[in-house]
Amino acid sequence: MYLSRVLLNPSRRGTGRFLASPQAMHAVVLASCGPDAGGVDQAGRVLWRVDRPEKHRIELYVVSPEPPDFTGLIEQAGWPTRATWDAADYDPFLQRIEAGQSWRFRLTANPVRSVSAGEGKRGKVTPHLTRRHQEEWFVSRCQHWGFEIPTRGDEADGEPVRALELSGIGLAEFGRSDPDSGRRGRVSVTRVTYRGELTVTDPDVLRRALTSGIGRAKAYGCGLLTLAPT
Amino acid sequence: MSVLLLRLAAPLQAWGDSSRFTRRETRPEPTKSGVLGLLAAAQGRRRTDPVEDLAALRFGVRVDQPGRIIRDFQTAIRISDGAVMPLSYRYYLSDAVFVAGVEGDAELLRGLDEAVRAPAFPLYLGRRSCPPAGRLSLGVVDTDLESALRDADWQVSRAYRKEQGQTVHLDLLADASGGLPTDDQDSFTVRDVPLSFSSERREYGWRDVVRLAPVAKDNPDGHQREDFFAALGGA
Repeated sequence: MYLSRVLLNPSRRGTGRFLASPQAMHAVVLASCGPDAGGVDQAGRVLWRVDRPEKHRIELYVVSPEPPDFTGLIEQAGWPTRATWDAADYDPFLQRIEAGQSWRFRLTANPVRSVSAGEGKRGKVTPHLTRRHQEEWFVSRCQHWGFEIPTRGDEADGEPVRALELSGIGLAEFGRSDPDSGRRGRVSVTRVTYRGELTVTDPDVLRRALTSGIGRAKAYGCGLLTLAPT
Repeated sequence: MSVLLLRLAAPLQAWGDSSRFTRRETRPEPTKSGVLGLLAAAQGRRRTDPVEDLAALRFGVRVDQPGRIIRDFQTAIRISDGAVMPLSYRYYLSDAVFVAGVEGDAELLRGLDEAVRAPAFPLYLGRRSCPPAGRLSLGVVDTDLESALRDADWQVSRAYRKEQGQTVHLDLLADASGGLPTDDQDSFTVRDVPLSFSSERREYGWRDVVRLAPVAKDNPDGHQREDFFAALGGA
């Protein structure tokens, strides 16, 4: 697997188009990750996320099974005359993950639940809209992804304070046409960015979460978890 | 045991270990044969002279600044008679900085240190067109290879430090010592032990390389953003 970071040029028209439509961004990311990029295999899949750590800095992170080539994306939305993307082999790092380690992390995810539509029927997928539900969605599933969020003592009312911060809560709405039927429609995805500190509990499960993604809407910039030293 | 530390920095470096025909490759880190060749050149050995004593040294390298791989499509013409040389792809590492160490007998290493400071032949980093930039030798330290590489200062410019996070993890690779590497270590094998540099018959043996736990360095000049590349090695 490979982890890449592409710097996007905020003043270019292509950047605006890609940021406005996760559908367009997904297409250009897949096109950059090799001809077989659409699939999901044992090792992992293509995942991406856009970060804006400072006002005029736009970073695109991509995880991909094959070494990517972002020349096309850079020509439309980057600085074509400068080397503005990095790609690194992810596997040596993944192999070093061990239980008990702590890392700073960042994840943009699509927190949803399924509301029952009656017995025997498929439930309706509904986004979590309140901050409390969005936090609960994440914290209650952590173990399932191979890590836990450490608590920093108790507050006065007995609620534990977690090393977790929610930001960038927002709704992405964009058009999409079905490649098979050609039907056009609207997609809306609720996105929440989770940041904080985590402790590894199950390295194998976490490796899978890092390379295969977390939650739904993985094609639309959700589910890519990245780790940084504390 | 003593260790001679070398700072390998240059606009271009090239460390081939498996190049054939018109595609001349580079590894992402210096090779043992390349560095031993540099030491032999510093001492003034001819290509046909034996290098067994150098090949017996234990070799390791730390990636301070990984650089980028660039490709040169070379269309060379021989000046003397205008003959067209084969069209070739040559790969280089640009803007990389490494700390390489060789471990062995203190007396031998001190001799090599002096030779590097006053070399008999011009020195280059893997390919003749890649002269080293800045000082090459960091001196001889009296400790083992791994701790020498771990303790050496981070050899990068202030401008580069500013682009990195507050902590960086530098990749560390070394010869597997004492037989085969254990299963839980990340290891690979390269054909990279010089047996003969003779231009008539170059010969290389195999060596096992292990990737050790990366070296964590504090970087007070670094930015405050989370750096998701910092833990991947080589900052």
